[in-house]
Amino acid sequence: MVQSRIQNNIRQLRFQAGEMTQQELADRVRVSRQTIVAIEKGNYSPSLELAFRFSYIFKTPLEEIFSYEPGDET
Amino acid sequence: MSYQEKQNIVNIFSGLLVTGIFAWMVYLRHLSGQFDLTEDFRAWGILFLIFIGVSVAVRVVIQIIFHIINAIATREEKVPVEDERDKLVKLKSMRNSYYAFVSGFVVSVVGLALGMPVHWIFIAFVVFGLIAEIMDNGSQIYYYRKGI
Repeated sequence: MVQSRIQNNIRQLRFQAGEMTQQELADRVRVSRQTIVAIEKGNYSPSLELAFRFSYIFKTPLEEIFSYEPGDET
Repeated sequence: MSYQEKQNIVNIFSGLLVTGIFAWMVYLRHLSGQFDLTEDFRAWGILFLIFIGVSVAVRVVIQIIFHIINAIATREEKVPVEDERDKLVKLKSMRNSYYAFVSGFVVSVVGLALGMPVHWIFIAFVVFGLIAEIMDNGSQIYYYRKGI
């Protein structure tokens, strides 16, 4: 499994937003439900534009949705 | 299993089916003496053009049948919208497919330089074309399952 170093709390934000379903979120940010599943699992890092769409939908700053876990780079 | 994964599996099997049947029919005609594929390169040209036409037509029909069966089985009539992840998966898979086909081309040219008969080049094109397609669809299944 390819795990991204970019983590997110979209699942948590969906539930805070009135238990929004993955399909509802997918429709609002204009991607497929499978892409939402992949992002929540950490199997896919969204583009900057899609990240901003999440930020807009949840009315939450980007850094509160996504976090980066650095590896061995200095 | 997602729509894209099922579609890629159908593509792999339809590729194998169409290429296999077409190659078998051509081989039988070659054996019966309708054309000599070891010497007649014009025949290869015509056969490739016919193969492209037949292949596209049969695959379109298979895709329509797949879509109808999938819609009945899942009760979802809408085909999923292609988003940024789908485009990235296709791009990476096409790169792998390209590597497979170019490897086949290099192998063919090396074979030619080592004295293999010229008609083997055409056979290699068909075989590596099929391998490249399997690589494309197989890569898509892999990326959809394992992530990118």
